Amino acid sequence: MTSVKLKSVKKSFGAVDIIKGIDLTIEDGEFCVFVGPSGCGKSTLLRIISGLEEATEGTIEIDGRDVTGEEPSKRGIAMVFQSYALYPHLTVRENVGFGLSLAKLPKDVIRQKVDAAAEALQLTHLLDRKPKALSGGQRQRVAIGRAMVRDPKVFLLDEPLSNLDAALRAQMRIELTDLHRKLGATMIYVTHDQVEAMTMADKIVVLNSGRIEQVGSPMDLYNNPVSPFVAGFIGSPKMNLYDGPVAAAQGCKTYGIRPEHVVLSATNGTWKGSVRHVEHLGADTVVYLVVPEMGEIVVRVSGDFKAAHGDILWASPVAGREFRFN
Amino acid sequence: MTAKRRSPYPYWFVLPAAVVFTVLFLVPTIASFWFSMTRWDLFQTEFIGWDNYRQFFKEPFLVQGLTNTLIYAVVTSGAKTILGLLLAVLLTSGILWQGFLRSVVFFPVLVSTIGVGITFAALMHPTKGAINIALSYVGIDGPSWLSDPTLALYSVAFIDIWKGVGLATLIYIAGLAAISPEYYEAARIDGATRSQQFWRVTVPLVQPATVTVVTLSLIGGLRSFDIIWATTKGGPGFASDVLASVIYKQYQAGFYGLATAGNVILFLLIAIIILPLTWWFNKREVDL
Amino acid sequence: MTSRQRNTGIIAFLAAFIIFILPFVFTFFMAVKSRQEAALFLFTWPSEWHFWSNLVEVVQARNYMLLLAYFNSTIITVGAVALLVIFGAMVGYVLQRRPSGWNKLIYAGVLMGLMVPPAVVPTIWVLQGLGLFKTIHGMILIQVAYGLAFSVLLYRSFIATIPRDLDEAAIIDGAKPWAIFFKVILPLLKPVTVTLILVQSIAIFNDFTNPLYYLPGRENVTVQLTLFNFQSQFQSQFNLLFMNILLVTIPPLIVFVIFNRQIVAGMTAGAVKG
Ligand SMILES: Nc1ncnc2c1ncn2[C@@H]1O[C@H](COP(=O)(O)OP(=O)(O)OP(=O)(O)O)[C@@H](O)[C@H]1O
Ligand SMILES: [Mg+2]
Repeated sequence: MTSVKLKSVKKSFGAVDIIKGIDLTIEDGEFCVFVGPSGCGKSTLLRIISGLEEATEGTIEIDGRDVTGEEPSKRGIAMVFQSYALYPHLTVRENVGFGLSLAKLPKDVIRQKVDAAAEALQLTHLLDRKPKALSGGQRQRVAIGRAMVRDPKVFLLDEPLSNLDAALRAQMRIELTDLHRKLGATMIYVTHDQVEAMTMADKIVVLNSGRIEQVGSPMDLYNNPVSPFVAGFIGSPKMNLYDGPVAAAQGCKTYGIRPEHVVLSATNGTWKGSVRHVEHLGADTVVYLVVPEMGEIVVRVSGDFKAAHGDILWASPVAGREFRFN
Repeated sequence: MTAKRRSPYPYWFVLPAAVVFTVLFLVPTIASFWFSMTRWDLFQTEFIGWDNYRQFFKEPFLVQGLTNTLIYAVVTSGAKTILGLLLAVLLTSGILWQGFLRSVVFFPVLVSTIGVGITFAALMHPTKGAINIALSYVGIDGPSWLSDPTLALYSVAFIDIWKGVGLATLIYIAGLAAISPEYYEAARIDGATRSQQFWRVTVPLVQPATVTVVTLSLIGGLRSFDIIWATTKGGPGFASDVLASVIYKQYQAGFYGLATAGNVILFLLIAIIILPLTWWFNKREVDL
Repeated sequence: MTSRQRNTGIIAFLAAFIIFILPFVFTFFMAVKSRQEAALFLFTWPSEWHFWSNLVEVVQARNYMLLLAYFNSTIITVGAVALLVIFGAMVGYVLQRRPSGWNKLIYAGVLMGLMVPPAVVPTIWVLQGLGLFKTIHGMILIQVAYGLAFSVLLYRSFIATIPRDLDEAAIIDGAKPWAIFFKVILPLLKPVTVTLILVQSIAIFNDFTNPLYYLPGRENVTVQLTLFNFQSQFQSQFNLLFMNILLVTIPPLIVFVIFNRQIVAGMTAGAVKG
């Protein structure tokens, strides 16, 4: 049972505290995603788990074993880097087998394992190429292959898809999810793309400047965000959030309503405003409505909704879908 | 907290280099301060205080070695800097056979200094040398390049410049390549002439290369030995002696303490000239 | 190409021919002349060609000293350059990858190495103490000590362009420090290593001063010293002296013709760092 347990992990670089006390348990076989804004410490936390970075305080357990002072290579982990970090002077076969040959495994065993990984990732015809001669998506697969042959208990992936174009990213999301299902290994995945988080994760960990803001399943975070920060981070377009008089009128500090939970009407409703801008996405249409007493509200309606700049419309929140944060 | 894991960049990687460098470079350098104050025959030392230094600043031929070193360094460095820049501009202007000409200018940098010295000593022979014979065709009575005491140092400096200007040119070519062509385009739109472009755009923007050329050629000029040894051996008399050749002569004569004092003086001379220069260049670079 | 660029090129070529090429032509002519004709020093077309006989004679002179010198110079150059590559890359690697207070000390050493003239007599004293004076391996270590600063700087700036992710990927693959360096980093340094090998080999092969001080003795003669020794011996045999110069100039010429680009890169890379 390969769980990963972090106990009050802290990390500072010099005098600057980057990770400010993290307690977290990731269950066996779970696909866990770290999300958060740039600079919040996602990569640092991942690197602490990998052992590339040492925690200033706290302990890390993998598979029930305290690995806090352990070498990265002895932790039973594998890592996929954002830049892929393929060795440029080695062929794909040598890249994938590098760790095994360092471990002095017999040549035919290495061959077998590399071939199996290549088969699974459709890399067989590329095995004798150098990384330079591969496309971005192929490099990505090689990086994953290099991680796979180590038979790791935990995969660590740091924004592995961020260098790919949108179409390839969508495809790789599915492939990674498939791979996770097939291997059944624990995966910890860093991203700042909330779509990746929502679509792939069993468990999402939202980080905010070195602290955990909330942990939960994607739908859990979507339906029950504990703070405006999480609410604003999960979901697209972003939740409408209001402080000040609007929130005070609702009896809270911050009032939030998701764009998809607002209905528009030409005749009546809660807030009256004029249309500033309309975005037609095809299936959906996003309307930006300026309401004098609250500012702007973003509304998502179905694609056939007709609206144009300057129209006067009424917006109303869907009952039970409003959020009131204190 | 568990024990610190070892860094993947261990300090013992530095160790072999550090040992060689310390034993064969630092230790002798530091020891030189002590030995320069002794009378020394490699086996026995006798402390004599500042006597060696006093001698260096009193004996006329030693003093001449010192002034010659400065003249030689300034002349060679100045000429290499100016000629190097001009040649670099010429050799980046897209002229015919540009690549070949670059190689021709650069090749002397790579050949044996002693070979060059011997060749030029023959070419500069007062009566039989090709240079003076060529001059006689145009009615000039060529001087004794290497045996005239007032001229010898400058003749050697000329050979040094001939051999070394290729490196300065090369560094300047790299420096010029780093200047964005847009500056020239902007200057041309502003109506700058060719010479204005050179003085207002090229010279200021190529400054990093100038810093390198000046620093390298000054250090090289101050330490110069082999070309002098191959041509004049410091002669006639001591007319073209520089510190490095004085050091060698004192070493040959067995005055090891005195030779070492010469070394320390050369070291200090380089430090006194190069460190303020580097500091000044760095300050200017920040201003840019 | 404008006609102005063409004409400038032609003029520049003529000037370069007179200034830079004729001295080499002169050397070549002198080297193939007879003894009597060479003694005239004149820059004339050789009336008789003695290329082979001069070549054979200079090689055989002094009991094949030139061959011994080539042998010694080659050993010194190869040995010193090999150590400069390994040591320089190792220092440059740690210097670039591991920021610490020690780096200031290393930089101070590098600066000294580039600037400070070696203290020759104390160096001889140290060499004698270690039993390395007048030995080839002593000479190799001297060349390493003097060339280190340049190679450390060259490697350091190149290693800065190699992403750290590669080291970390290797760490996770279970590589020990020496394996990261020798199996991942060092192979990636190949372009700069080629440059360094070329630049340092030429410098060490052409070095005259250091062998003069640290490697006296007939059996230790190096190529540059043969020139110097022959200069006094061949007072009346200038054809042989110039044949010797020719033979000493040929290796750098060949290297230059083949590796022009890498040499130029090295000379400027090492220099522009400031
Ligand atoms: N070696 C280091 N020394 C000092 N500060 C560091 C170091 N590594 C990271 N930091 C700082 O720690 C903070 C968190 O960095 P980290 O790379 O973990 O962010 P991140 O959440 O992964 O951001 P991104 O989404 O941009 O990748 C940043 O402010 C960064 O500047
Ligand atoms: Mg990151």
